[in-house]
Amino acid sequence: MNKVLGNKKAISLFVVPALIIYTIIVMVPVIWSLYYSFFSGSPGLQWEFAGFDNYARLFRDKNFLNALTVNCKYVLVVTVGQVGMGLLLSLMFKFWLRRCKTIVRTLVFFPVVLPTVAVGQLFAKIYEIQPNYGLLNSLLDSLGFTNLVQPWIGQSSTALWALCVMDIWVAMGFYSVIFYGALLDISDDVLEAARIDGCGGWQLFKNILLPLLRPMVITSLVFSFSGTVKMFESAMALTKGGPGSATKSLSMYMYDVAFTYNKVGYASVIAIVIFLICVVGSLVINRFDVKD
Amino acid sequence: MKKRALAILMAALTASTMFAVPTFAADYSGEDPQLEKNIKILTIWAEDNDNGMLLNKICEDYQKNVNPNFTWEYEMVASDNLQQKIATLAASNDLPDLFAYEAGAPLSVLIDSGKVKNITEAVDEIGTADYLNSGAVELLKGLSGTDDLYDLPLGLNVEGFWYNKALFEQAGCEVPTTWDEFEEVLQKLSDAGIQPLTTGGSDKWGATRLINAYAVRTAGNDIMTKAADGEVPYTDEKLVAAADKIAEWAEKGYFGEGITTVDMNTAGSMLMSGKAAIFYNGSWFTQNLTDASQNPAGEDGIGFFNIPVADESISSSTSYSMNCGNILALDNDKYDEATGWFLKYFMENIGNVAMEDQGTVKGYTYDVAADDMDNYTKLVLDEIDKSTEGFAWWEAKMPSEISKTAQENVQPLLNGEMTGEEYMQSIQDVYDMQ
Repeated sequence: MNKVLGNKKAISLFVVPALIIYTIIVMVPVIWSLYYSFFSGSPGLQWEFAGFDNYARLFRDKNFLNALTVNCKYVLVVTVGQVGMGLLLSLMFKFWLRRCKTIVRTLVFFPVVLPTVAVGQLFAKIYEIQPNYGLLNSLLDSLGFTNLVQPWIGQSSTALWALCVMDIWVAMGFYSVIFYGALLDISDDVLEAARIDGCGGWQLFKNILLPLLRPMVITSLVFSFSGTVKMFESAMALTKGGPGSATKSLSMYMYDVAFTYNKVGYASVIAIVIFLICVVGSLVINRFDVKD
Repeated sequence: MKKRALAILMAALTASTMFAVPTFAADYSGEDPQLEKNIKILTIWAEDNDNGMLLNKICEDYQKNVNPNFTWEYEMVASDNLQQKIATLAASNDLPDLFAYEAGAPLSVLIDSGKVKNITEAVDEIGTADYLNSGAVELLKGLSGTDDLYDLPLGLNVEGFWYNKALFEQAGCEVPTTWDEFEEVLQKLSDAGIQPLTTGGSDKWGATRLINAYAVRTAGNDIMTKAADGEVPYTDEKLVAAADKIAEWAEKGYFGEGITTVDMNTAGSMLMSGKAAIFYNGSWFTQNLTDASQNPAGEDGIGFFNIPVADESISSSTSYSMNCGNILALDNDKYDEATGWFLKYFMENIGNVAMEDQGTVKGYTYDVAADDMDNYTKLVLDEIDKSTEGFAWWEAKMPSEISKTAQENVQPLLNGEMTGEEYMQSIQDVYDMQ
């Protein structure tokens, strides 16, 4: 095997096909977008060279800055929420649940396989206020918290957080299964030794489990980050980006600019910004993965 | 020798071009030549929806009765995705032969880039100009801002307020004719514990129509055209007052709680089931009203009144908000003689088929009566007959970017997160950036 992998021709035989496919699928569209970003209008419809006008416009565009802010808040809350809740659930599976472990795991994982549009409809019903109270408002009303009854997805102050809750609920099962798998790999001997040495619950988590789970936490953060930075379909299904532009992400804004305003050139600039955010974000997360 | 041969050849070529047979435009006066043709149709209507059924029936009849060599492919796209789909197809020079689109600013982009067929020219050539309803033609030309027509109507709708008669009776309200009376009715309904108004705040356009209603009645039928042309700023005090009016209604609780989460379908259901008294919508709402399973108010439970008048000299009581619904356009490149023959048949027959089968007016002349017309359809036809002038909707003259802003920001306006002035300023800001 070493002999085969030491041969440069053999390596290139394995690597080159994948590299070509990757270049065609990923790099060509990125370069294409870069090329488009120097034009105004839409290809075939008022398509003119615009130089750096699109880039100059970016920083004056209130809608872009608003979408960027929405995206940042969403990424931060949902990434931490999904990974954090996933970790907590996995700890619950491992150390707390004695019975019905499989059923609970299945139930928690279940939302992952649901179509986003169905989840959006489900939560729209949960948050409903008119013509009838949905589950949440009915609950608050029946418990006497009438002052808390409100249009959760109909007002800017709560719409984004309502959306975050939905997306955390959807994906936390996925991360819990990943972490649970990693927890099962940790030898019981290590845990027992820590307990004999007098480790309490928190110390066990902080000093033993978390360091051992770190590679998995980093991977999960990258997964969650790259999923949330593209925020689109869940917001479209639940709030359509509203009210106003309170839940409109960069991807949604890019979509509007490209296909509703017919400004593919400017939309390409926004696409490049999203690409750069993905690259920089992943690099930042990976910096935590310092080898001891 | 060679030079001589070349000279003869050149002379022959020159002579041949002189005697070349000029090409004549197709003659559409005789019988259909039954040319082979496959037409691609892209619409936003399912095949079992009224417009979908109508288009397919016309195609079927044309194939069966006139041209057996004619075939068609019918494709449907969600209305939200129509503009994107057409923009993409236009960019790749692959527009369908016949496609549904939006009149006004979106169509103007296609007209400017020469993508759509000049309908006036086509209709003159095939000789079917008389089949078009002149009101619909004027409306569409006005929306495109062109002297020629570039789209075909597929509806002739009036818009206004639908109201629940039982709730009006319960609160002791009469149908209002002036704006002051209208405000009194709203107050009276509210005092009686009835939700006076509902609208599709989540679909947004239902709410902007309400601003338009007040703006037109206080500033004139052409106020939005003037604003689009830059003669009047969007921040004009009358437009600001119109936006403030809707915000004021929302603040008074006339729309109930969380109106920005209610879509047009739900709002319609609320009217029919007696959960709200008044709902602004177009005459296409009769589709829901005539469906007994959707309308618990029954065959005569819902009434209609035009937007009440604020000042008859500014905007008259016989002027209605009118539109031709989603229009049809023809791809310029794919238009050929066979399409012309199909178009001829389409225009000659659609008015009658629509009236006979569905009791609807599509913007074409008709000389038949519907088989069994229901009350709601009669009501709409009466209102169309009463109209002497039409005005367009709030976003009709706005390019897509301004239109999107106008629609999106109506939600913060309803929520009280934006004032009327801020709302209009947000529209003006985008206008200034264009």
